[in-house]
Amino acid sequence: MAFLEWLQSTSVGVMVAESLWGYPLFETIHTIGMAMLIGSLGLINLRVLGYKPELPVLETRRLLPLAWIGFTLNAISGALLFTSDAVTFFNSYTFRVKMVLIILGGLNAALLGQKVFREAPAGSAAVVPDTAAKWIAATSLVFWFGAVCCGRLIAYLP
Amino acid sequence: MDFLVWLEGTGIANAIRTIPWMYPAFETGHYIGLSLLVGGIMLIDLRVLGFARTLSLRSMIGLLPFVWIGFIINVVTGSLLFIYGATGFGTNKAFLLKMTFMVLAGLNALAFDLSVRRSAADWVTADLPPQHVKIFATASLALWLCVVTTGRWMAYL
Repeated sequence: MAFLEWLQSTSVGVMVAESLWGYPLFETIHTIGMAMLIGSLGLINLRVLGYKPELPVLETRRLLPLAWIGFTLNAISGALLFTSDAVTFFNSYTFRVKMVLIILGGLNAALLGQKVFREAPAGSAAVVPDTAAKWIAATSLVFWFGAVCCGRLIAYLP
Repeated sequence: MDFLVWLEGTGIANAIRTIPWMYPAFETGHYIGLSLLVGGIMLIDLRVLGFARTLSLRSMIGLLPFVWIGFIINVVTGSLLFIYGATGFGTNKAFLLKMTFMVLAGLNALAFDLSVRRSAADWVTADLPPQHVKIFATASLALWLCVVTTGRWMAYL
């Protein structure tokens, strides 16, 4: 708790909380990063689930740089937003659920990466994701969309 | 202005103001819609500009239904959010800017769509988007990011 209070009191925390432009700027970046992340991971997961079968599964990994940029933008902007009111955010159940969903989403993504993209036999042109991979992809979508919802609801729920 | 006052006084608007879960629900829906709309359009525009080249251009342009679904969700949720505070939002400079950018983005999308229809067989299949199509794609990215940004400013102006 003392750490959180210290965080809020740093010049960064104060800047984000009190400057006219700080909070809107980082919130905007956070929204844009979210769109990048949902777009790229959304399509990868949907492809694993069988949507747009003409897209080679392994090639959807080309979207990962966009996902990483989005994630990084959001990790940084999220941390900055957090510092503006660290105690309140930390104590918010909705915030905590969001963090858990993001961790789960990340673990799922790593799992899917391992299962579908890394275990594919070398030179396999047509990778067909199995049922387990599809479950991972489906739950990923739930986790990421859940995180989006929780993010917005932090302002309204305890 | 009278129209805005009238909108704000409708039964639906009153319901949104008095039933606590409505505004948060529509706002959340607006963010889901924007994820589909902006996320989808980013994938298409970036692909036109050459990102993730091994994914076929035709398939990526085929993501447009998601963009449309996101757009429709946001027109519906956006309208509901708007009437909640029509007199305030209707005169909010950020909102007016947002609507301007949206109209421009819509016109730009129309131009892109017409381009695809007119010469669909050629540059889409060959994955050689002509220069003007690349300009549409860049403008699209810029305009939708402006929509997101001015949307966020609404709470602060």
